[in-house]
Amino acid sequence: MDVFDTTQIALGRAMEGAAQRQTVLAGNLANANTAGYVRRDVDFTSTLRDALKADDPDKALEDATFSETTDPGAVQGDGNGVDLDTESSALAQNGLLYQSLASVLRTRNAILEDAIGGSH
Amino acid sequence: MGLFDSMGISASGLSAERTRMDVTAENLANAQTTRTAAGGPYRRKEVVLAQEPGSFGSTLAAQVKVQAIVQDGSAPRMEYDPSNPDADAQGYVAMPNVDTVAEMVDLITEQRSYEANTTAMDTAKAMFGKTLDILR
Repeated sequence: MDVFDTTQIALGRAMEGAAQRQTVLAGNLANANTAGYVRRDVDFTSTLRDALKADDPDKALEDATFSETTDPGAVQGDGNGVDLDTESSALAQNGLLYQSLASVLRTRNAILEDAIGGSH
Repeated sequence: MGLFDSMGISASGLSAERTRMDVTAENLANAQTTRTAAGGPYRRKEVVLAQEPGSFGSTLAAQVKVQAIVQDGSAPRMEYDPSNPDADAQGYVAMPNVDTVAEMVDLITEQRSYEANTTAMDTAKAMFGKTLDILR
């Protein structure tokens, strides 16, 4: 087994994806009152899910790029597609996901360090 | 890096909403002002926001900026008050085109939007803290 196994790589990439999504969602909230603004999102989970199914998941995970989507669907009177409540809850969920990923990563690092005999 | 960008974007949102609040406060403060430097009653102002695509690498995320503060061109409200020194020959005074109730509603929207941006910034901060924890 490599020191950095598939799960470790996937955790790292998922954190990257969540950080990118945080930026995009923050942009949606900042533009909640901008006329004609179309909301954006990042679906990094499905990209990573596909990468994990690949023949060489490690490589697929490392090469995966998270594409951003625009969602012109729901639009209010001023041509703005941002709903403050939906956006805030997505932001909170994404933040918690990031934090739990970081916790898992930290725990796995601690296990590795124990195995190596280092101190932490 | 991603999370710093996120905080910059939220900051742009905070600044834009504060500007909107300033303008709404100005409208409310001048709701009865009949004399201005330009002559005539005070005219309600409105903030025009525009998205500003930042240099955030590959992301589409956009900051927000105040593009302009424009005057509401609608006609002044005519109020019958013959004793007012600004009354015309028929006794009508041209009052500002400010609707106090609409301004109060705007103020609530602005406050909520401001709060949403602070929440987004708090989330980014919490994410940062958690990342630093990995190194402990």
